Amino acid sequence: MIAQFRLPDLGEGLPEAEIVHWHVAPGDTVALNQTIAEVETAKAIVELPSPFAGVVSELTHAAGDVVAVGELLISFEVDGEDPATPEPGRARDADEDEVQTPNLVGYGAAPRSAGRPQRRSRGGRRAPAGDTAVLDAAPHDAIAPGIADDVRYERPRSTPPVRKLAKDLGVDLALVEASGVEGVITRADVEGYAARVGSPRAAADPGPGIAPAAPATAPRAEGGNPRETRIPIRGVRKATAAAMVRSAFTAPHVTTFLTVDVTETMELIESFRSDRRLEGHRIGVLAVVAKAVCLALSRHPELNSRWEEASGEIVQFGYVNLGIAAATDRGLVVPNIKGADALDLVGLADALTELARVAREGRSGLDQLTGGTFSITNFGVFGVDAGTPILNPGEAGILGIGAVRRQPWEHEGAVALRDVMTLSLSFDHRLADGEQGSRFLRDVADVLRQPGRAMLLR
Amino acid sequence: MTYTPTTDSDRFTELGEPAQLLTPAGERRHDPRLDEWVADVDLATLRGLYRDMALARRVDAEGVALQRQGQLGLWAPAQGQEAVQIATARACRTDDFLFPSYRELGVLLVRGAAPADLVLSWRGEVLSTYDPAELHVASPQIIIGAQSLHAVGYAMGIQRDGGDQVAVAYFGDGATSQGDVNEAMVFASSFSSPVVFVCSNNQWAISEPVTVQAKYPIAGRAPGFGIPSLRVDGNDVLACTAAMRWALDHARSGEGPVFLEAVTYRMGPHTTSDDPTRYRAADELERWRARDPLTRLEALLRAEDAFDDAFLAEVEQDALAFTSRMRAAAIHAVAGEPLSVLDGVYAEPHTGLDEQRGRFAAYLDGFGDDEEDGR
Amino acid sequence: MTQLTMGKALGAGLQRAMADDDRVLVMGEDIGKLGGVFRITDGLLDEFGGARVIDTPLAESGIVGTAVGLAFRGFRPVVEIQFDGFVYPAFDQIVCQVAKLHYRTAGKVRMPITIRIPWAGGVGAAEHHSESPEAYFVHTAGLRVVAVSNPQDAYTMLRQAIASDDPVVFFEPKRLYHTKGEVDLDAHISDAPPMGLARVVREGSDVTLLTYGAQVTTALDAATAAEDEGISIEVVDLRSLSPVDYRTVTASVRKTGRVVVTHEAAREAGVGAELIASVTEKCFHYLESAPVRVTGHDIPYPPAKLEKHHLPDLDRILDAVDRVLDRPNSLSEVAP
Repeated sequence: MIAQFRLPDLGEGLPEAEIVHWHVAPGDTVALNQTIAEVETAKAIVELPSPFAGVVSELTHAAGDVVAVGELLISFEVDGEDPATPEPGRARDADEDEVQTPNLVGYGAAPRSAGRPQRRSRGGRRAPAGDTAVLDAAPHDAIAPGIADDVRYERPRSTPPVRKLAKDLGVDLALVEASGVEGVITRADVEGYAARVGSPRAAADPGPGIAPAAPATAPRAEGGNPRETRIPIRGVRKATAAAMVRSAFTAPHVTTFLTVDVTETMELIESFRSDRRLEGHRIGVLAVVAKAVCLALSRHPELNSRWEEASGEIVQFGYVNLGIAAATDRGLVVPNIKGADALDLVGLADALTELARVAREGRSGLDQLTGGTFSITNFGVFGVDAGTPILNPGEAGILGIGAVRRQPWEHEGAVALRDVMTLSLSFDHRLADGEQGSRFLRDVADVLRQPGRAMLLR
Repeated sequence: MTYTPTTDSDRFTELGEPAQLLTPAGERRHDPRLDEWVADVDLATLRGLYRDMALARRVDAEGVALQRQGQLGLWAPAQGQEAVQIATARACRTDDFLFPSYRELGVLLVRGAAPADLVLSWRGEVLSTYDPAELHVASPQIIIGAQSLHAVGYAMGIQRDGGDQVAVAYFGDGATSQGDVNEAMVFASSFSSPVVFVCSNNQWAISEPVTVQAKYPIAGRAPGFGIPSLRVDGNDVLACTAAMRWALDHARSGEGPVFLEAVTYRMGPHTTSDDPTRYRAADELERWRARDPLTRLEALLRAEDAFDDAFLAEVEQDALAFTSRMRAAAIHAVAGEPLSVLDGVYAEPHTGLDEQRGRFAAYLDGFGDDEEDGR
Repeated sequence: MTQLTMGKALGAGLQRAMADDDRVLVMGEDIGKLGGVFRITDGLLDEFGGARVIDTPLAESGIVGTAVGLAFRGFRPVVEIQFDGFVYPAFDQIVCQVAKLHYRTAGKVRMPITIRIPWAGGVGAAEHHSESPEAYFVHTAGLRVVAVSNPQDAYTMLRQAIASDDPVVFFEPKRLYHTKGEVDLDAHISDAPPMGLARVVREGSDVTLLTYGAQVTTALDAATAAEDEGISIEVVDLRSLSPVDYRTVTASVRKTGRVVVTHEAAREAGVGAELIASVTEKCFHYLESAPVRVTGHDIPYPPAKLEKHHLPDLDRILDAVDRVLDRPNSLSEVAP
């Protein structure tokens, strides 16, 4: 079979050599290590010993040719199946092009390969996760007994920029649920948290909860009692709870109730539905209530104010940022409509529709979740009539609206089936007294009972 | 300049011609200092020494060829230095411990190195091959002169064990400039340790002639340290045998260290990457070729009718058998697995390194089955 | 338990190691008759004789090189380098031979050599007698490097180092040679905390302060002073510099989220740089602020009268603690 000899690196550090003289010709029988050629590098003339014993079959270059290292020089006809073809100039490198030029102490630096630099393919496998695992100490360095490493407090995990963001927003990372790899709290997590539950910096903390949101984490069945389920207190739930506690135990809550005949409101709404000019605008009970609230607040500014302990002042707002409590997958959020008082009913209705949609998608922006001045919570959609809502911290009042029921009511001196709804107003007794709260509630109720009375307010 | 020896063994501190028992032409000479040490050397022994030197030369040639064929990255030719290497190693007991430099292939061969041992390090497959404890030879040392201290330390250990072994340090003329070699002589002398320093003065340290290293003959330094020394013809296998036997006996009997300067010549380049035509003259090479260690022994043996073509053929045959296995070992060497580079750094587990191994393994794992193992 | 100075504890450790294994030798300049310039090896010559307690010629490379030869012969040499600044002549033998022989021979040859180095400053010494060269050795694969901070560790870790089949560079803070502490002389070295283990020497919750050697004392002082400001510092004595016990270190960092590293050695490419790089890799998501190093300046060791301006003291440490706590500090206005 044919065995080939390529010009090897000659220990001169140069990539090529000139053939000075062939000592053999095709057809010659050559012994192992017999000198077959003299080649000249820029530095010296070097004799090449034959790597094979055999018959010369071909000289690929002639005397006088300059040959690059790695180029085929001479071929032999040799015996046997495995001539153990020595491949000069490399130690079985997979890359054909890699020929190493030696220096005084060895093979020398590998030459740069031709072609565009490329990565080895990863064979479709995912790059291994960054190894941040801390190796167990080796037996020689065995951990001394007594160190339990599971009962240690660990801080929430995040990155420095995200920590800064949380700090700027006044968000406590301990309350934020992590969605990142290995339990790392991401920027989106912090923004989402602030969106849902508000940022203390803007004094609009998570709203009151009535309907419990779905637990943020799946309940974990513990080994202990199979009839107990343990759900970690984390994330949104934790934040909401904290805010509620803050609210409940800071502001003295008073709740007053008023049940009102809203049949005319319902008829009004019905008439809107068939009004072609209002096509595309969903005007519902909530929108009307919102309008009524905005109008009433202009007469009762004490219910549109904030108790600011730090500065020792009560801030009365000249606008209404109307928050609407919305139940989402992650929990309760209270996005607000800025300047709701400046909107007409259609504008309000549209704003509500949009607000609800965004909230349901969990995309309420930070701006929406902060800066509210008064809130409405519609627990009527759950089929209950009344409740004692907890104030959105920083706000003076929150109006809960119950379900609209068809029930017997007094109407024009007789008993008739009317649409009836109960209003539950909680307010901060520091900011408003019973009379003020009641009057406000009456004003709202009056508009709902007789929408035309809205014209008495501005 | 006159020199006054400072030890008792002043008969061994003459600095004239190196001691010689066999001329370049193959004639037997007498030297009263050395004769007694080779009185028992008969023709059979001489033929054995020739065999050893011939093998060393053949192995060396094969190493050069393998490098020229691209199978080895580097080779340090020992051509011309066979006599001192073979003779000194043969003179040792198997339980003496030898500390060679990277050029002492003759020493390795005498001590029983396998063909693969001669090539795998030069090929870059491994940093060293044989077990020093088996051959009683340390791995060839690349840091110039460092091994001289190791030999002295070993000899200090022999003393503490109450043993009668001897440690031998091999180094060249260049090494004698290194601090370690000089410190080794201080320690050896102060502690009277059983160590023999064998300096193969082959006239060249890469391109620097020995006159850069030594204004005064190298053998003349040792007595200054309190160590008796002898300057011997390094191409004379008989003289080297005698000198080494004397030296070993001196050390072994508790008399302390000995220094031998074997005057020889590096016929080849420093390594296969060196070009000696740049710094030495062709006529110098020819002068030394006329003093070749093998030809003079052959001449002696032929004159004694102890060397015929049959003997030569047999010697060459045996040498070829060895070198064929060398060649095969080089060509068929199996490269280590990627992760193996992390093995053997420590005797005991090291958490930092173990962690790195884990990472590297995970990284390599990520390349999938369609890849060859990364090389 | 006994009250011993660190120097005496080291001596006791050597004595115990030599008594337990007659292959253990002690060698170095002036360590025999004189008992060592710090008297660490006092009494050993009398007890074990000149074959095992060797006054060597004045040649550091020779001392380490012959130790290598003795290790080849099966001994366990304990080398004393008289002063930190004199280790450099031996650097070649340490790095090229001691550290590499195991790897070179694929484990057939072992180097169970312990290289003891009286180390670091704060003793008002002449030039070259106050060096902190540990980074060079930490960077050399094949060596283990430890630094003791108290007499008990000096006693047990020296014995563990000698018992280890790996070469160990053993740093002894000379500043603490005369400081006393409780030492349990009967402790089994296999029961004692392993040589490679770090130790939390003071628990805290606000900041992790990583250090080693004599600087541990300074760190503890800083932690005490910090209490007055309501800051709780957790001080970790690394004990081992190669390997570093990252398990202990990262547990602390995961708890506090803030890291200060302090060492006498110069800042650039010092051990602190490695620690912080590793801690950042492993604990990035737990870090509240960027870790800070408090070290010697990048200068040759200054003259004795000025060394106090070079050695990181309590105030500089607490200044760095302020920084990681985002309190006003000397660097508040200065770019890192």
